[in-house]
Amino acid sequence: MTNTSQDRILEVKTLWHYYGNTPALRGIDLEARRGEFVTLLGPSGSGKSTLLRILAGLELPTDVNVMTLDGQDVSNIPANRRNVSTVFQHYGLFPHLNVRENVEYGLRARKVPAADRRERALKMLEQVQLSDFAERPIARLSGGQKQRVAIARSLVLEPVILLLDEPLGALDEKLRIDMQVELLELQRRLEMTFIYVTHSQEEALTMSDRILLMNDGDIVQTGTPEDMFDRPNSRFSASFMGVENLFDAKVVAVSDAGLTVEVNGASIEGVWTGASLPSVGETICCGFRSERVQIADDSTTSMNSLEGKLTSHIYKGKYLDLTYQTALGPIRMRSWQSHAAPTETARIAWHKDQTILCPKS
Amino acid sequence: MSNRQPTINPIPHWSEKHGWRRLGAVTGFIALSFIFAPILWLVVMSVSEDPLSGFPGPFTLTYYGQLLEQTGWVDPLLNSVAIALGVAVVSMIASTLIGRAIPRIRRGQFTLTGVMLLPMMIPGVVIGTALFLYFRVGLDMKLGLWSLFLGHLIWAFPFSFLSVLIVALRFDVRLLDAAADLGSGPLERFWRVELPQLKDGIISGGLFAFLLSFNEIARSIYLRGKTETLPIYLWQQAASHSSHVPLIYPLNVLILIVSSALVALAFWVLFGRTKT
Repeated sequence: MTNTSQDRILEVKTLWHYYGNTPALRGIDLEARRGEFVTLLGPSGSGKSTLLRILAGLELPTDVNVMTLDGQDVSNIPANRRNVSTVFQHYGLFPHLNVRENVEYGLRARKVPAADRRERALKMLEQVQLSDFAERPIARLSGGQKQRVAIARSLVLEPVILLLDEPLGALDEKLRIDMQVELLELQRRLEMTFIYVTHSQEEALTMSDRILLMNDGDIVQTGTPEDMFDRPNSRFSASFMGVENLFDAKVVAVSDAGLTVEVNGASIEGVWTGASLPSVGETICCGFRSERVQIADDSTTSMNSLEGKLTSHIYKGKYLDLTYQTALGPIRMRSWQSHAAPTETARIAWHKDQTILCPKS
Repeated sequence: MSNRQPTINPIPHWSEKHGWRRLGAVTGFIALSFIFAPILWLVVMSVSEDPLSGFPGPFTLTYYGQLLEQTGWVDPLLNSVAIALGVAVVSMIASTLIGRAIPRIRRGQFTLTGVMLLPMMIPGVVIGTALFLYFRVGLDMKLGLWSLFLGHLIWAFPFSFLSVLIVALRFDVRLLDAAADLGSGPLERFWRVELPQLKDGIISGGLFAFLLSFNEIARSIYLRGKTETLPIYLWQQAASHSSHVPLIYPLNVLILIVSSALVALAFWVLFGRTKT
């Protein structure tokens, strides 16, 4: 065996899943390496939670070519005989058991002797800083503490992969950010594979080694957080990853250096992020982030620039959201000098290599 | 002018007077006395020398002692206990099976629950007559313990079903996903996750079923054949002018004590304990 195939802890090929006649997942291919933090990102209804349930074994796929976990075929193995564990958004803690008994549950199912499982449970509770709460009933925990119990209950089983289904969704913002850091540290320390489901692009960018963006039952883009942020390869990806300025564009010229397009009569240059290059005359999508737009100080050839007239500005605390009316249409710009008075008419500019050109769909 | 302040009349309207509260307290007290006085009377008479005279005292435990000698009540008691135990056990099992199915079915939840609960609303004599005709004429069955058992089961089941349904509807089925995920097979999921949370409803349902069967008389009259249950025995003794009549008082007091304890237990299990 080669090193790479040993490293590959999860492999899924052409997975289809149906609810009645409606496909929920359309031919998903998926891989995860040992110790990797993979995020399934997508809007609600995109199939990410269904995919996670199938990986957990809580649902068996309608049809799949290959589904192996740590080298073993699991395509027909139910959840209770798979060495993966899930942290649910609803925590799924057993209300009739206390904290320690919850953490011991899986060990008990595996027939671990009482003294041994108690010791392991207490050790794990220490890891999530809940040692003092071992004998406490579940109902008397805060949301953050419940979350930690759920994580401890899964981790104590030393699963091959930890699956997390929007685990921070029910927490308030401050706690969520703390927990992000904590989860990440835990994952690095244990060198465990995490597969994490979320609809928050910010959460995905912060935590992941690799992001799989899902839409309508399919994985539409895969990449590192940097890839996803800077080089979305479709209009959907761009818009989901928070690219505010999106326009339809017509291809004028294609060269090795880049593409030239026409948007409402204005000529724009940018970088193609799609698969195969488009042909001249094709309608594609042109996008750039509002935080990359600036007031042009000296017009260099490496930037696209246009005359604009301020139409609105919204104070957001840390920054100002400005809208300039240009030949392209309205362009959003983020200004970090939130207390400076915005210029009424200005030449605004953004880098050509930060201009994303991608297929319309 | 239309926005003029209402004038304040210092004299209270008749409905605002204070006497109403006192009247409420008094009528409430009278109502409670009507309910509890006969029962208290029964208790007092059970320890009186001549219960049939209607005057309490002088006090004695003679009749409690006589219960040990005149043992005509033992067989009816054993019949009642056997039937009630059977009804309780079968009700608990059936309620658990059906009660946990109701939240899981997609269509007809409401209708099915309604149909299950309907026997509660059918008058006892109607069910008694109907079952009598059905068992006796329809099935050509010999009336006795079995017909009593079935009749009581029909009567008691809806109550225990309701008791289980309350806890089953409250149960979060997503916990079963969590249990499966942690390595439990279907049987273990039921025993270690679901049953512990339905337990209170099942136990109190069983207690209710036991008591309803134990006290049942309207249906039993039709279904007993020659078998005697305790309530029927007591009623017969009370109606006759036999020398056993004084024994009814202590016997009833004993039943009262045991029944109240069971009801209290049922309520405590279902509602009383602080949920953690």
